[in-house]
Amino acid sequence: MTLRTTIAAVFRGRKLAALGAVWLCIITVAAIGAQFIAPFDPLEIDPIARLSEPGLPYLFGTDHFGRDTFSRAVYGARMALIIGIGSVLVALICGGLIGLLSAYFSTLGHFLMRIIDVLMAFPALLLALVLMTLLERSVINTVIVIGIVYATTTARIFFGMTLKLKNEVFIDAARCSGAGHGSILFRHILPNLWSPLLVQASFIFAFAQLQAAALDFLGLGLPPEVASWGNMLAEEKIYITRAPWLLMFPGALIILSVFSMNLVGDAMRDSIDPRFKNDIAGI
Amino acid sequence: MALLEINNLSIAVASQGQLLPVVTDCSFSVAAHETLGVVGESGCGKSLTALAIMGLLEGSQVNITSGSIVFDGRDLLQLRPAQRRAIMGNQMAMVFQEPMTSLNPVYRIGEQITEVLQQHRKITHRESRQRALELLDLVKIPHPQDRIDSYPHQLSGGQRQRVMIAIAMACEPALLIADEPTTALDVTVQKEVLDLMLDLQTRTGTSIILISHDLGVIAETCDEVAVMYRGRIIEKATTASLFANMAHPYTRGLLASIPTIDTDNDWLQAIPGRVPGIDEKVNGCPFHPRCAHTETPCTQTAPRLIDTHPHHAVRCHFAGEI
Amino acid sequence: MEQQALLQVNHLSTHFRSNPTGLFRRAGLIKAVDDISFFINRGEVLSLVGESGCGKTTVGRTLTKLQPSSGGEALFHGRDILPLSQSVFRPLRREIQMIFQDPFASLNPRLTIEQTLAEPLFIHKLAADSNQARQQVADILEQVGLDASVMKRHPHEFSGGQRQRIGIARVMIVKPKLIIADEAVSALDVSIQAQVLNLLKQLQQEHRLSMLFISHDLGVVRHISDRVAVMYRGKIVETASKPEIFSNPQHAYTKKLLAAIPRVPTLQRAS
Repeated sequence: MTLRTTIAAVFRGRKLAALGAVWLCIITVAAIGAQFIAPFDPLEIDPIARLSEPGLPYLFGTDHFGRDTFSRAVYGARMALIIGIGSVLVALICGGLIGLLSAYFSTLGHFLMRIIDVLMAFPALLLALVLMTLLERSVINTVIVIGIVYATTTARIFFGMTLKLKNEVFIDAARCSGAGHGSILFRHILPNLWSPLLVQASFIFAFAQLQAAALDFLGLGLPPEVASWGNMLAEEKIYITRAPWLLMFPGALIILSVFSMNLVGDAMRDSIDPRFKNDIAGI
Repeated sequence: MALLEINNLSIAVASQGQLLPVVTDCSFSVAAHETLGVVGESGCGKSLTALAIMGLLEGSQVNITSGSIVFDGRDLLQLRPAQRRAIMGNQMAMVFQEPMTSLNPVYRIGEQITEVLQQHRKITHRESRQRALELLDLVKIPHPQDRIDSYPHQLSGGQRQRVMIAIAMACEPALLIADEPTTALDVTVQKEVLDLMLDLQTRTGTSIILISHDLGVIAETCDEVAVMYRGRIIEKATTASLFANMAHPYTRGLLASIPTIDTDNDWLQAIPGRVPGIDEKVNGCPFHPRCAHTETPCTQTAPRLIDTHPHHAVRCHFAGEI
Repeated sequence: MEQQALLQVNHLSTHFRSNPTGLFRRAGLIKAVDDISFFINRGEVLSLVGESGCGKTTVGRTLTKLQPSSGGEALFHGRDILPLSQSVFRPLRREIQMIFQDPFASLNPRLTIEQTLAEPLFIHKLAADSNQARQQVADILEQVGLDASVMKRHPHEFSGGQRQRIGIARVMIVKPKLIIADEAVSALDVSIQAQVLNLLKQLQQEHRLSMLFISHDLGVVRHISDRVAVMYRGKIVETASKPEIFSNPQHAYTKKLLAAIPRVPTLQRAS
């Protein structure tokens, strides 16, 4: 199946999801071209124009330092993308490998999956908080922590699906051909996990946004000087009555992006192999 | 008058904005006390025909596009859903292929039998349980008293299929449709289940439509046979006449390709090629791409059912000649 | 002097632990294969017949080491393969190949036919590069009655019969000595089953292959075997040459099995 027909199959008859995809494209464009789109430097301070209302030249108004909210929001999109993609990579690589290997080598699995069980006993945010307090506030640490939090659920899902695939007849057939463990794992099992992998990635991307925003808001996420939607909320929360737009814009951006990503994820899940629908429906 | 009469039934499946025919112009009738066998390979439309009779196609991608299904003088396709439900399970019942999945795993088998009874009969709980015991005895489940409170997973495959038959026979239906009832079973169990069905038929006078891919099963159990290929009935006859005057090249090919335990042939006479998919269009006779006797008319016009013998019709341009 | 059998199985047993049904109940022991012995000579087809759950599939899985054995020995070319580790056994896998029942489940849906068929060539170093492999894949596809051009396609584009031909190609491409065919034609429609059965028999005769043909269908068995072993509840109850077993069955179970098969009238068989 070509990429085009796949995309067509995912979004046929799912208008809302298509709108969500459009919104994500806009965010991606903003993130990549932030320096060309943002009219001001996100860190540039204009003391005279502190807390000005939305209008010109400050589209979304300014914050209490006099920084342009629109420019900060555009750079925030870049941060959102970095956090999202980074956490997805960490979660899928760590969680995916743990799940895959645990299911395939059952002795190792007994050990690894118990660790995962313990980690899953913590609520996601609490686990992230604990890990963050041990580490310094930085972009890379935030990515790692959120990635680890979602690696646990990813490992569980991959564990289940690999267990099922491992008993497929074509795996027996590969063994009869003399295929070794590496070949069976990475040539026969992994490619069959592609579609659930993609769906899982979309959900992690969405939840990572919320998680990152929550950490920022609690002052444990990205360093305060970084322009991110979560930081914008955290810094301006005391101005909620005087300058509500300062919270409205980043808040709306977070909600829209998470909602869009979830819609796209749902659409992907519904259009992939029926075999896996039940496995990933519960996330 | 026949108990069930199917006239020019056509069924199509909706796929990507198109209607692909899966059953075309299918007509047959079943008389009271009679067993009709419908035989054909997977995808020939035999199961869809059964589902259409039972009204189980409603709300699916598969639609009845034309024809009528007259049961006991009433066209089922014209009835309201409530009227139809009153017939289903009561005057007409079905046994499916998979005894594993067609029983609900969380209910005891006794409950599943009494449910049908209470649906269609004004009957007390006690009476229905008594009747369930009789039915289990009728389908030759040993020790019905002990078995009535078992769950489906506690029974063997053959016993589950017996329970399915008990449920189907609960209201003494006039017509029993059995869709590959023994395909999932071992041969020794298959024989017992088929014998049981025939035995019940002589006792209750039920008509049976037996759907199967196995010509042997059909030959041993049915009075009449309809052979289907790609949604069409291509040969229809009494069982005796079918095997004595077998005329359609497909039916002959089917018979020749069965490896039997009574003969030693070195090579089986396989039918070449494969059944075209439902989205592939074949002009003329649907069998002509695989037929050894294909001539010009076969590729151009679809043949009609022609009577070659009394009670024996064949859909072939050269029926009786080859 | 007696010729040495290609495969000699002595007192083979394979047991499983059953799942405990209650919370505190002990796991039981299921003797799926219980002390069976048989042999297969070179170029000979031995059929293993029985009903579901009799253990016939487990025999095949044990001999291909997909399932560990519990006792006995299996001498292949005089060497016991059961105690071998997977890595020692790997080169022998080329010689002992298996055909699976379900043509829809036995091919990896993500790989093209060429990738599936070339894999064993690279594993067993039968092809030096992908050009050589492609040539061999094309040859084998032709042998099983498929066009070489299909190698670029994926399994979902094929019908059941075609997939089973591909399954046979995967086995034949490594030039095995012994084929274990587990219900290889049971999932196919009758007219297609006959094609595949003829193909299997033709390849077996051309290459003088030995075959363990596992099946529940006595008609199919009569068509392909030289000798027949009847299995019942984990044990072989009767072994005899094909004419013997069909004309003069000894064991009560064999008789019951033969009597239960629905007969097709044979009036018109010669067309």
